[in-house]
Amino acid sequence: MKSRSLRWQFLLPAILLAGLLVLPEVGLSPNALRLLFVSFVWIIASLAWNLLGGYAGQVSFGFAVFNGIGAYVAAMLIDNGRLHPYLAFLAAGVAAAIASVLIGLPTFRLRGPYFAIATIGVSEAIRVVATNVDFTGGASGYRITESRQFNQLEHYYCAMFVAAVAVATTYLISRHKFGLGLMAINQDEDAAADSGVNPFAYKLKAHAIAAFFTGIAGGLFARYAAYIHPNGVFGFHNSVQILLMPVIGGLGTVWGPVLGGVVVGVIEEEIVAYFPQAHLLIYGGLLIIIVLFEPGGIVGGLRRLARWIRRVLERGPGTPAADTPSEQADEVLWGTGSGPGR
Amino acid sequence: MTLADIANLVVAAVLLAGIYAVMSVGMTVIYGVMKIVNLAHAGFMMLGAYIALEFFERLHLDPILAALATFPIMVIVGGFVHFTLVRWLPRSDQPTLPSLLLMFGLWLVLQNLGYLIWGNTDRSIFTPRTFDVIHLGPVVIPTIRLYVFIAGLGCVLLLEALLNWTWFGRALRALVQNPYAGRIVGIDDEKIAGLTFGLGIGFAGLAGALLASLYSFNPDFGRPFLIRAFVIIVLGGLESVSGVAIGALVLALVETFTIIWLPAGYQLAISFGLLVLVLIVLPGGIASLLGRVRRLA
Repeated sequence: MKSRSLRWQFLLPAILLAGLLVLPEVGLSPNALRLLFVSFVWIIASLAWNLLGGYAGQVSFGFAVFNGIGAYVAAMLIDNGRLHPYLAFLAAGVAAAIASVLIGLPTFRLRGPYFAIATIGVSEAIRVVATNVDFTGGASGYRITESRQFNQLEHYYCAMFVAAVAVATTYLISRHKFGLGLMAINQDEDAAADSGVNPFAYKLKAHAIAAFFTGIAGGLFARYAAYIHPNGVFGFHNSVQILLMPVIGGLGTVWGPVLGGVVVGVIEEEIVAYFPQAHLLIYGGLLIIIVLFEPGGIVGGLRRLARWIRRVLERGPGTPAADTPSEQADEVLWGTGSGPGR
Repeated sequence: MTLADIANLVVAAVLLAGIYAVMSVGMTVIYGVMKIVNLAHAGFMMLGAYIALEFFERLHLDPILAALATFPIMVIVGGFVHFTLVRWLPRSDQPTLPSLLLMFGLWLVLQNLGYLIWGNTDRSIFTPRTFDVIHLGPVVIPTIRLYVFIAGLGCVLLLEALLNWTWFGRALRALVQNPYAGRIVGIDDEKIAGLTFGLGIGFAGLAGALLASLYSFNPDFGRPFLIRAFVIIVLGGLESVSGVAIGALVLALVETFTIIWLPAGYQLAISFGLLVLVLIVLPGGIASLLGRVRRLA
C-alpha cells in the first residue's frame, strides 16, 4: 500500500513534466505559452511563500520586496547584454536572499501576527524608497534591452525548469528534518525551541530560500516583460497575490501552492480580462470562504472529498473515518501565534 | 528656522495628531476586546469617506456634519460584518492568522465594492471655506483642519466617557483586562464584542469621513493611514485610548519635523520604518518604556 502511493507520488509529477516538455512541440498558440509561462512564474513564488508561510506559519505581506529586488537585479545585469540571463537570474536570487536576511534579522524577533504587520511596513517603506531613487528609473520605470533575439520557447522552458526545481525543493524540505522543524515552529514555537529547534535560525533559513526563489521569479518576469517599474514589481498587490496562491491551493503542502498558482494565473490572465471590475472581489471572496469553510484550501477540500468517497466505497455510509491528513492542514492555518517577544 | 516656524510646525503636528487619534482608536478597541488586528480598517475608512461625500453632494450637508452623520451608519455596517463574518472566527486571546486573512479578504472586497459603486477617479469634498485660515499672531491655522481636529477630539472624548461611565464601557474594559473573569461575572462577551466591533468600525468610518475634507480620495484610499494606525497603536501599547493619543502625537511630530530634512516623498517610508522599529524595540509601547524607567529609578 505504502509503496504504491509512493510510486504514484513520483509517477504523476513525471507524467506532468513530460507532458509540459513535449506540449510546445505539439503546437501551442503563443497565448497559451504565455499563460503557462506566467503560471510557472507564479508557481515559483507561491511555492516559495509556502515554505515560510505554510510550513513555518510565518505570514509575510512583504514578498513583493524580493520579487522587486530580483526583477531589478536581473534587469540591470541583462540590460545591454552585460551578463548571460541565466547568471543574472542566479544573481537576482542571491540578492533577494541577502535582502531577506537583512529584513529577517530584526523582524523575526517578532512572532506571528506582529511579524506579519512588520512585513507590511518593511515592504511599503522599500517601495517608497524604490520609487524615489534614480537607478530604478523612478516612477517611469526601467526598460531592458536584450542583445539576443526574443525566443518565447526559451522563456517557457527556463521558467518550467525553475518551477520544477522549486517543487523538488519543497518536496525535499517537507521530508527533511528542516521541514519538520518548520512545522514544529508553526504548531508551538516554544515547544519546538525546547526540543532542539532554533526557531530564529530556521525561520531565517526558510525566509532566505523563499526569497531566493521569489527573486528568480521576479527576474524571469522582468526579462519576459522587458519593462519594469517600482510600483509594479514592488507593489503591495504583488505581495497579496503571492500570499493568496498558497492559501487558496492549500498551505503546508507541496501541490497546494502549485494548484493555487495555476488558479490565480488563470484568474489573473483570463477571468480578469472579462471581469476587470470584479478582480479584487474574486480574491477577497475566495480568501473569506477559505478561512471560514475550508482552511486546507483546494488540497484540503480534495482530501476531504477523497476521504468521503473512500468511506462510502469501503464501509458504507455513516461510519466515521479516521481523518489525519486534512486535520494537519487545519493545524497549519489555525495554529495560533503568540505575543510579541524575542 | 525661526521660533515662529517651529510654532507653526508644532500646531500643524497637533492638528494632525487629532485626526490620527480618531483613526486609531477604532483599531485599538477592536484589538483590545477581540484581539483581532483589523486589516480591513482602511477599507472602512474609504467607505466612510464616500458616505460623507454622498451626504455632502446629495443633501448638501456641511462636511463636518456629514462626517458625524457617517458615524452611526458605519456602526451598523460594523455590527452587520461582525454578525455575518467575524463571530465565526475561532476565539483566542492572541491574534490569529485566520483573523488576519479574513480581515484582509474583507478589505479586498470593500475596495472592489468601492470601485464598482464610485469608480476609480479621485474625489474630494471641496467647499468655499476649504482654504480659509486663521492668523494667531505668527501662527497660521487652516480652519478646516481646526474643525476636523475639534470634531475628532470631541468624539474621542465621548468614547473615553462611554468607556469610563457606562455599564457597557465597564464591561468592555473588563473583557480587555481578563476575558475569562469577565465571562464568569456574567458579561455576555459575544454581545459586547459585536458592539465593540461596530463602535470600532464607526470610528474608522468617522476618521475616513473627516480625512475626506482634507485630502482627495479613491477606493484605494487608506493604505498609508492603515500603517500609520499600526504605528500609533503599537506606540500606545495596543489597548488604551490615552495611549493612542500619545502615539498619535509622537507620530505626527516625527512626520511633521522630518519634512525639514527629507523630501516629502520619503515621509511614508519614515512611518513604516518607525513601525518596524517600535515593534522590535518597544513591543509594550511608550507606557512600557516609562514603566521600565521607573523600575530602574
